[in-house]
Amino acid sequence: MSSIWQNILISLTSISNNKFRAFLSVLGIVIGVLSVTLMGTMISGLDQTFEKSMSSFRSDVLMISRFQWFDGDKEWWQMRNRPRMKPEYVDNLRNRSTMIDAIAPVMERSGEISRNNVETYARFFGTTPEYLKTNEEQKIESGRFFSNIENENGARVVVIGNGIATGLFENENPVNKYVKIGRNKYLVIGVIEKQGSFMGMWSLDNQAIIPFGTYQRNFAKRGWMNLRVKTNSEDINLAKEEITAQMRIIRKLKPLEENNFGINHSSGFEAQYNAIKFTIAGVGFFITALSLIVGGIGIMNIMFVSVKERTREIGIRKALGATPFNIMVQFLTESIIICLMGGVLAIGISFIISDIINDFFPSTMPIKLALFSILISVLIGVISGFIPSSRASKLDPIEALRYE
Amino acid sequence: MSFIISLKDIERFYDVGGEVVRALDGLDLNISANEYISIMGPSGSGKSTLMNMIGCLDTPTNGTYEFENEYVHEMDEGQLASIRNRKIGFVFQTFNLLPKSSALRNVEVPLIYANISKKERIDRAKESLIDVGLEDRMHHKPNELSGGQRQRVAIARALVNKPSIILADEPTGNLDSKSGVEILNIFNQLHDKGNTIILVTHEEEVAKNAKRMILILDGKVKSDIKN
Repeated sequence: MSSIWQNILISLTSISNNKFRAFLSVLGIVIGVLSVTLMGTMISGLDQTFEKSMSSFRSDVLMISRFQWFDGDKEWWQMRNRPRMKPEYVDNLRNRSTMIDAIAPVMERSGEISRNNVETYARFFGTTPEYLKTNEEQKIESGRFFSNIENENGARVVVIGNGIATGLFENENPVNKYVKIGRNKYLVIGVIEKQGSFMGMWSLDNQAIIPFGTYQRNFAKRGWMNLRVKTNSEDINLAKEEITAQMRIIRKLKPLEENNFGINHSSGFEAQYNAIKFTIAGVGFFITALSLIVGGIGIMNIMFVSVKERTREIGIRKALGATPFNIMVQFLTESIIICLMGGVLAIGISFIISDIINDFFPSTMPIKLALFSILISVLIGVISGFIPSSRASKLDPIEALRYE
Repeated sequence: MSFIISLKDIERFYDVGGEVVRALDGLDLNISANEYISIMGPSGSGKSTLMNMIGCLDTPTNGTYEFENEYVHEMDEGQLASIRNRKIGFVFQTFNLLPKSSALRNVEVPLIYANISKKERIDRAKESLIDVGLEDRMHHKPNELSGGQRQRVAIARALVNKPSIILADEPTGNLDSKSGVEILNIFNQLHDKGNTIILVTHEEEVAKNAKRMILILDGKVKSDIKN
């Protein structure tokens, strides 16, 4: 125990005798560990963002639309000419399928929403009250969602996202106040909880949900439409198959005809996301490994210099009873300490950097990653210090004592 | 009677550019406790090789070396380090102190490798420095000390682990004559206290301090005179 402390003391003395040199040789390690931590921080940030972004698209939810997402076999234009989704499908599917818990049509477009000449951008959704059951992550913060009667009558009521609420009302409570959409006044009946953004790219808080009937009356009868389904099946693939079969019947497809609709699930996103993530991680790993190797070579070089310079000291220590193992441990300790200093410095820097990046893109450095980087630093210290230390330990004491 | 050191038929050959140099060539030497020996010889006589051999820095090509019932000629690096640490105190011509460490730290070094606790280490190192009259120079670095003081630090370091022999290689070679006399006086006192001292030198004046004078020539003991 005391000899470890002795070695640390000797190493610190030797490093502080050559501060600038130690600093320069540490830079390589700093860059290497920095790329480890930043890469890890970025991937963990991506993961968090993805998870948060996907929370409104839970694993028991399917989206029926004209397009099959992430379908590598089909071109965009091939799917484009498929028939539209129709509102009748909703009841039709509900009656036919045994696996549907809730189903809602969703039409979507973007536009402006205003109040007292203050205007803001919004994404309008036209849907039915059942929508809330298909999207359990969206909770009403104040007020209420619209009713079936309002839906059937095409009442001009709107449930707004948190972003629009703050944009148009600031600190006022928007419920029971009017906003203007197009030429018409709508009564705000509810506000949705803050949702954040999708992958840090677009906000989910600028939505304005209006009854399906109202949407059709005021915006468009036909248009871009999805059917959002919450299944009650444990096995999402089973549900997918069942609904596909029902859709084929509704669409009156012959056995050999291809599906002319898509049934989408969050796993499609996940697969796509994982592909991107692994690409980033792969490239990152390559860069990281490369910079760590370069850093390690720098340390090895400086350790060779240190051994050479201290040949006589090694001779003296050996004459006084240091075993080859003692000498080996002494120089290994020095190399580990230099690398540890680099590692700690790099972790400090990457904390600052990830904090800055966090303003633009979610990124937080996990503690595990910091510990992992410390481990990497120690490992580099051992690997790059090994050959110089072993050379030092094998020096002939007589030769070493004669060295000038 | 039993000897501390017993060298029998020691040979040490070097291969220098394909040519075999017989540095020690069938040397026999026995040393008893509390002897004060000087080893002399011209350069190339094998004197330095003998010193390295006695100091366990080198092992013989042939022959047996027994040090207090331990067979040095059979030892590996680690065992040699241990015997140097426990039984031999080195004093060098060029002092060989660690330049960036204080006198006290220098004297502590052999105790570190003997795995002695910090507290005891400091106590013993201080005691040893007091013995050579350096109680007021303990925290000075070698470059803040005179040549004679540096050599006294080295002697304190040699004594700190209570070795069986003190092996001094030209201890006065780098000193002015006054400091040299001081150092030799310390050796005389150490001998009077019961220490075994081996002094390697080429100066006859220095060698005469010893009680037994050995002359090496061509890798063999040429003469062995007791004063």
